[in-house]
Amino acid sequence: MNTPQVLPRAITRPMRPHLPAITSTVFKHLVLILVGIIVAYPFYFMVTSAFKEFFEATQVPPTLFPTSWHPENYAEVWSKQPWGRFFANTFFIAGVTVFGELVIAVLAAYAFAQMNFRGKNVLFALFLATYMMPAEATLIPNFVMMTKAPPGVNPFFPIPRLNLYDTYAAQILPFLASAFSVFLLRQQFLAIPKELRDAAVIDGAGHVRFLWSIALPISVPALVTVAILSFYGSWNSFLWPFIVTSSEAVRPIQVALNAFSAEAGSHYHLLMAAASLVVAPIVLLYLVGQRFLVQGVARTGIRG
Amino acid sequence: MTKMRIPTLLAALALLLGACAGAGPAATAAPTTEADIEITGPVSLTLWHALTSDPQKGALEAAVKKFNETNGKGITITPVVQGNYTQLYQKTLGAIQAGALPEIVHAYESQVADYQKADVVIDLETYMNSKTNGLDKASQDDIYKPYFDTNRFPQYGNKLLSFPFTKSLFVMYTNEDVLTSSGVTSTPKTWAEFEQAVMKTTQKDASGKTTRYGWAQPLDASNFNAQVMSMGGNVMSADNKTVAWDGKEGLAVLQMYERLWKGGYAYTPTGFDWQTDFAQSKLAFTMGSTSSRPFIAGAMKTPVKWNVGVPPQTDPAKPRTVMYGANVAVLKSTPEKQLASWLFVKWFSEQQQTADWATKSYYMPVRKAAANDEVLKSYWSSKDPQGKQAFDVISSSIPEPNVRGQQEIRDVIFDMLTKVTTGKATPDAALKDAGTKANQILKENQ
Amino acid sequence: MSGGAIAITERAASRRRRGLIENAQAYLFLVPAIAFLGLFKILPAFYAIYISFFRWDVIQGAFRGLDNYFDILWQNTTRSQAFWQSLSTTFTYAAITVPIEMGLALVVAYVLFQKLAGRDLYRTIYYLPYVTSTVAAASVFLWVFHPQYGIANQLLGVFGISALRWYQEPDGVFQMLGNAAGLAVPDWAAGPSLALIGVAIFSIWHFLGFQILIFLGGLGNIPVEYYEAAKLDGASQWQLFRRITLPLLSPQIFFVFTIASIAVLRAFNEIFVLTNGGPLDTTRTVTMLLFKTFFQQGQIGLGSAMGVLLTLIILAFTLIQFRVLERRVTYT
Repeated sequence: MNTPQVLPRAITRPMRPHLPAITSTVFKHLVLILVGIIVAYPFYFMVTSAFKEFFEATQVPPTLFPTSWHPENYAEVWSKQPWGRFFANTFFIAGVTVFGELVIAVLAAYAFAQMNFRGKNVLFALFLATYMMPAEATLIPNFVMMTKAPPGVNPFFPIPRLNLYDTYAAQILPFLASAFSVFLLRQQFLAIPKELRDAAVIDGAGHVRFLWSIALPISVPALVTVAILSFYGSWNSFLWPFIVTSSEAVRPIQVALNAFSAEAGSHYHLLMAAASLVVAPIVLLYLVGQRFLVQGVARTGIRG
Repeated sequence: MTKMRIPTLLAALALLLGACAGAGPAATAAPTTEADIEITGPVSLTLWHALTSDPQKGALEAAVKKFNETNGKGITITPVVQGNYTQLYQKTLGAIQAGALPEIVHAYESQVADYQKADVVIDLETYMNSKTNGLDKASQDDIYKPYFDTNRFPQYGNKLLSFPFTKSLFVMYTNEDVLTSSGVTSTPKTWAEFEQAVMKTTQKDASGKTTRYGWAQPLDASNFNAQVMSMGGNVMSADNKTVAWDGKEGLAVLQMYERLWKGGYAYTPTGFDWQTDFAQSKLAFTMGSTSSRPFIAGAMKTPVKWNVGVPPQTDPAKPRTVMYGANVAVLKSTPEKQLASWLFVKWFSEQQQTADWATKSYYMPVRKAAANDEVLKSYWSSKDPQGKQAFDVISSSIPEPNVRGQQEIRDVIFDMLTKVTTGKATPDAALKDAGTKANQILKENQ
Repeated sequence: MSGGAIAITERAASRRRRGLIENAQAYLFLVPAIAFLGLFKILPAFYAIYISFFRWDVIQGAFRGLDNYFDILWQNTTRSQAFWQSLSTTFTYAAITVPIEMGLALVVAYVLFQKLAGRDLYRTIYYLPYVTSTVAAASVFLWVFHPQYGIANQLLGVFGISALRWYQEPDGVFQMLGNAAGLAVPDWAAGPSLALIGVAIFSIWHFLGFQILIFLGGLGNIPVEYYEAAKLDGASQWQLFRRITLPLLSPQIFFVFTIASIAVLRAFNEIFVLTNGGPLDTTRTVTMLLFKTFFQQGQIGLGSAMGVLLTLIILAFTLIQFRVLERRVTYT
């Protein structure tokens, strides 16, 4: 590799995003548009099919644009299942999870970033280890933990039985501690300028006050990133709620959509309407919170 | 003194014998069983079922609502749909492990056999024979015997572990318009006629590519079992220890599949699309459950002439087909809840309810006398002639095996059918392989 | 003793006190995280091992020692055959998906990085699949790739390709291509089934945006001076890419490769909705087999053993990756 000859100036000049340009602008746009169409097509298809009527939706060849618009499909979908309940369940579960996860992760991340204590490295290694643990290993034992011990079986040992099958708690509790959120926030808290901390110490502020009045307010973007990522995870989760719930009272939205695909049968227009309903809140959240996400992903510590 | 003692002795003896004899028809002092208790307070129950779509879902919910309002004992039932039958099965297994069972569960016989591995299903015999809350002999006889037989489980001492609920049967659907337009004069009665008709109604273009198929057949163990039976074969051996569908009839069915699929005359549809295709005259034949009637009717753009009947037979004089549809089982809970559950099951099978159910859900009534119900009769003649056609075939329907492991065997059969229809194995090899696997499963579950 | 020495000891003492208080505070802050991680991640890991030592057929049965593992690995012919086949399917799936999605993401990120109009719009669209739930997206894909009604077959029909059965096609793609060309391809060379390819297409669609974003971030870290200097020396477009971009992007490439391969080894939701492991088990990955063993057959002991095995496999794979590949990462 050629050694650059203008190094001293390079270090002081801020890095501008600029790569040697590919020759043809047209070519560039073509590539991007093609990929864009392929990526966006399923969404386009989902929404347009949702407005078609049954015979047009099952027509061969499929029409690109509905010949007649049928927004009543949504009313029909809504009436077939208690979607209001499912949405409410999911908002509740996601909301509580996000809040709990933030509180727990903030505290833990702050401790790792700004405090000194014995066993810090050991504990951090432990957190790292849990991050590497795939859900497959813990799925079955977590399920058994949620069940009720059959008569004659000890409900505490060797496996505690929480008897939380088919509840909100079963869908919230396992996700309140997220090693990933702790890492993200730890990066953030590590980046707080030392001067701020020193000034606070001189003022006699303890950790709690520092955290509350200074560290948190300047970390809002990172907190929002964690909140958004956590909300996605909760909204989109399927497998765990699928095995751990059965009644409609606590059923979340993805499980309901899966059940509805059995109900819709060959009425694909209804299934597409339901799918678009399920996807809409997340897409909205994404469009609004985009920039946090982009920053957050870039912030996952993959510095060169 | 002896004169006085003997009558007392005799009386005591009579009482003793009477008590030992149990609730015999002549006994005056019939001891009460848990089927005879009184329901004291309000009881709330959950019914898990697999009726995901209307009209069946709505019909069940309406029936349950009526029961809740009219039972007069404070029993309230909440129906919960758990997805399709496979998902319902998985959910119930999960609930068994979790110790969080519903009281009443909609299930196929093979599924009930698996649930009983954990000993969670109650024996309905006591309830059915109870003097206060059971069904009298005439009522029991009125229910189709095959419906009863399939709910007795030989591996569990012939206990009545479930009760007929959403019964239907395997039939052949024929699109008469397509037949006549292709020059086929009548609905085929034998398999040879059937193959001819399928080939005649298939249309191909100049390059030999099929533009309209004659037959769409969803691949399913029950469909295969029905076809084996209609060819004169049996599904299980007499002692229920090995399978019998891997014999010459099974081979004949697979060979027919191979011929028709390879030749481009038949295909495997995706999901429930065969209902739409049939309704829009893109098919001449399809075979499946009678409960598909409303979906086919609902998918018709323009009215079509169609009929329903037994599948083609090797011996049309003695038609055989498979009984379809699921049953309902009551799971262990408190004596009151169990009795309340039985009361619902019993109510559901009563003549008025079963006739009403048949009208609204397109399932078959469970009683012979229901055929005389005026509402049902007029409904069949005016709106649903195919329903009457299906009903007439009930006596030819035979239940499927209800042994443990049958659920797994269904997957083995499904794989076998897939292999043959996609040309990945010859009928001979696929059949042998599947038969061996199935027998292995049966052995493991003994 | 002088006053200064006393003051020093006093300051030392108060520092120690502060240290102890901080220690206590830190642990207090960490207690909730440790409690939940412990209960729902760490302890279950041990329970998984415990459960895997028992015959657990809906209800807990007899102790079996390592028999469950032996059954899965070789003892029980049906189960071990299924396990090894599912492992092979999993790695095939990974081998198809990861290189293609990374290659595509790299190209798109490189193009997107140029100063182009509408860059933000493109980025928004590309990232959309990643935030959409797999259940919803997969049901759309089932419809797009529907054998009769789907648009994919319509488009292929324009090129004269007859309708494919996509998610229901158990035939291997090499065999299908061979048949189309009139060659007979032996069974062992049949290749991944079309259904598996279909699932891979979904996976690529889903992860593309995430990877593009990471590469974009990495591209932004490369000092522009390197390029300028190299251009002064007369380097071509391709040389710039190969000798500057790629090496300096290697931390991100390595990161994406690790994350993507782990994600694909653990994939479940999309396979469950699209094919449920079929047709003919050609998309049955280890996670699908685990699910079926556990949830459909109620074999909790065996399922748990499988989960432990899968964890070990992923750990081993990650370790190998780190040892082999990390050395080739260029950090500036």
